[in-house]
Amino acid sequence: MARIACLLLPLFPLAARLRSEPELMHEALVVVEGNGNAARVVAATRLARNASVRPGLTLTQARALCPKLVARPRDGECERAAQEALLEVAEAFSPRVEDAGEGTAYLDVDGIERHYPGSSPERDLGRALMSAADAASLPARVGIASSKLASRVAAGLPEPPVVVPAGEEAAFLAPLPLQRLAPEVDVAETLERWGVKSVGDFARLPPSRVASRLGKLGRELHATARGVDARPLMPREPPPVFQEGMTLEWPLVSLEPFLFVGRAALDRLCLRLESRGFACIRLGLDLRLEPDGHQSRSIDLPAPTRDVKTLLTLVRLDLEASPPGAPVAGFSFLAYPDRPREAQLTMYGPAALSPDKLATTLARLFALLGPERVGSPRPVNGHRPERFALVDFTPPPPPEVRREPRAGRGLLAVRVLRPPVEIEVMTAGSEGAEMPVEIRSPASEEAAKRTSVEGQVKVASGPWGIEEDWWADDPTGRDYWDVELAGRGLYRIYRERATGAWYADGIYD
Amino acid sequence: MAEPLKRRILEEPEEASAALRLVRSSLPEALRSHVQSARVLDREIKDAAGEGAFPTAVPALDRLLDGGLPRGQLVELVGSRTSGRFSALLAVLAAATSIGEAAALVDLGDGLDPDAALGAGVDLQRLLWARPARLKDALAAAEMLLAGGFPLVVLDLGNPPVRGGRGVEAAWLRLARAARAHDSALLVGSPYRVSGTAAGVVLKAGRVHAAWRGGAGSPWLLAGGSSRIELEKHRGRLHGQSETLTLATAIAPRPAAAPAPRPQLLPRDAREERPAAVAAFPRRAAAG
Repeated sequence: MARIACLLLPLFPLAARLRSEPELMHEALVVVEGNGNAARVVAATRLARNASVRPGLTLTQARALCPKLVARPRDGECERAAQEALLEVAEAFSPRVEDAGEGTAYLDVDGIERHYPGSSPERDLGRALMSAADAASLPARVGIASSKLASRVAAGLPEPPVVVPAGEEAAFLAPLPLQRLAPEVDVAETLERWGVKSVGDFARLPPSRVASRLGKLGRELHATARGVDARPLMPREPPPVFQEGMTLEWPLVSLEPFLFVGRAALDRLCLRLESRGFACIRLGLDLRLEPDGHQSRSIDLPAPTRDVKTLLTLVRLDLEASPPGAPVAGFSFLAYPDRPREAQLTMYGPAALSPDKLATTLARLFALLGPERVGSPRPVNGHRPERFALVDFTPPPPPEVRREPRAGRGLLAVRVLRPPVEIEVMTAGSEGAEMPVEIRSPASEEAAKRTSVEGQVKVASGPWGIEEDWWADDPTGRDYWDVELAGRGLYRIYRERATGAWYADGIYD
Repeated sequence: MAEPLKRRILEEPEEASAALRLVRSSLPEALRSHVQSARVLDREIKDAAGEGAFPTAVPALDRLLDGGLPRGQLVELVGSRTSGRFSALLAVLAAATSIGEAAALVDLGDGLDPDAALGAGVDLQRLLWARPARLKDALAAAEMLLAGGFPLVVLDLGNPPVRGGRGVEAAWLRLARAARAHDSALLVGSPYRVSGTAAGVVLKAGRVHAAWRGGAGSPWLLAGGSSRIELEKHRGRLHGQSETLTLATAIAPRPAAAPAPRPQLLPRDAREERPAAVAAFPRRAAAG
């Protein structure tokens, strides 16, 4: 017989709100539904309940009972995130988890109790479930039984976790009022006419007679009363993204307050990612704008990370670069999960970079310099020396054994001037065999800001011709010289064949 | 008693000096100077064995730096244009990546040619290239890379004028502190002194004396050059020592005197021969 655990969050709207705003934990807080005078209390904290505030009261009535009452509207965004977090807690224990909504999750725990070799394994399992939920800021209760209804009823009892031994579900449910089975109205009326008041009374009726009189609905209800689920556990498919967000009490118009509340949401998001062994490879941000606008944006990360500070910096830079343009009434972060990079440690070789730290460093460099300015360089096919390509920096693992450095080649390197510096060149010699004899900087404001290349040519070596893209509309044809300027260094200069203009594009350094 | 004290010395550096004073005061006068904190002893042992240094595979630099770039220090290599500074930086990157270490180049001058780096022996897969546009960003990027655990960070400030001036001294001190905290080697290449008191070692490269081949009817070819690198500052050592860095171009044939493909100290007579070839050329250029 399958064993099912029910993870139940009592006062779900309140628990979800407190998860998003934990600073309200010790306040007389109520969660209300509806607007204005129609706003009614849905759930209240113990402090508020001590002041006789009960669900169903209007907000005005509640405030009359407790003047220091803090009221928050029901927030679908918070509740969805809390429900998702609850399901993730359950999925850390079992792959078969059913989402029953409204702060309830069922999980198949058949066989899991073997991991708890104590005197009461199922009870220990229940305690572990409650601790895990508590670590995710969810004050959940746990009931374990062989049917969903029995486990849910058990979860609602005092002193959780409550375990209903296998086969005793019918006896456990028997004293409960019939309303706990939530029958359809016409079935409930019929049963009332029959004088059936408790679940036990109903379970004692012969199944075939119930089926012939009440039909399919009655048969399923009767099975539930006997502790047999009418429908088996229906495992859910885990969603591809992790989402956290909230509806704001007041629309925000400046960045700092938004980042303040956003940081808390990112904290929760990263905690959830960490609990599942994931990191974020792309961060989405959905903004609900006043009065009824909506904006979505996405930030690609160079490597999976779950560093809150880095993510927040990226969000700040993105919002600074393109502000939403209207007050923000609500937001939601979407983390696209990916497996974090892993490094194999080596005992004798050089240490590998920590994948987490590398991902964070790259993300911060992207934010500081822009993605087009960070990467691993690669040469590009062709002859023009100013060209290059940047690819993602993913270094191979270091060698297992430390080796001696390769002897340097001792090459005289060229420092490329990007873009090339425009110069004026005096030449001497017959046509077709001219040699540069003097270089001057053009008298322009632009040239004054760049590296100055000027002086008498002491030695010149060239020309070395290059041709590229001769088949294209914009072909390249250049004649290169290596020149040594008197007391000024060694340069690489060229003349554009098409225009006759001269440029310096490198310094031997 | 000994174990908790040892732990305190290792884990709580701010209390280490107090604990050391306590231990020293209980010892006879002659033994007091032999007691040292575990952290300092570890550093001294590693430094003595050359373990702390990052070999550069450039003999001239390794000799000046006692075996290589010291970890945990800011080393500044000063050199104007055509001083061999950029070639030396690439050689250091090549040496680091050849042993399997990751390295980062913060290139304020945006002067890296990947082809040239590949030619110099840099393993591009292990090289992270950051191209900041301002000195402030370059300093921030270098600090991030040090904090990210890169064992070697090379910061090149490009040609003068450096974009952003000399920077704030506090920023250089912070950078040096980051290098020390993460035990990374930090090499700064600059056209003039910028890091002030933050640098543990300062090297100054003179201008490259170019070597040309050809003449007498055949075309001139840039064969390479050599520059003098002088030790301007080294904590705990006398400055003034200098070495010659010899460099060759990729297309030039290797001189027979240096068969191994590595920078070599030129013999004095070879250095004296070069200017003669250079001095002969201007007449040809002027005559066309």
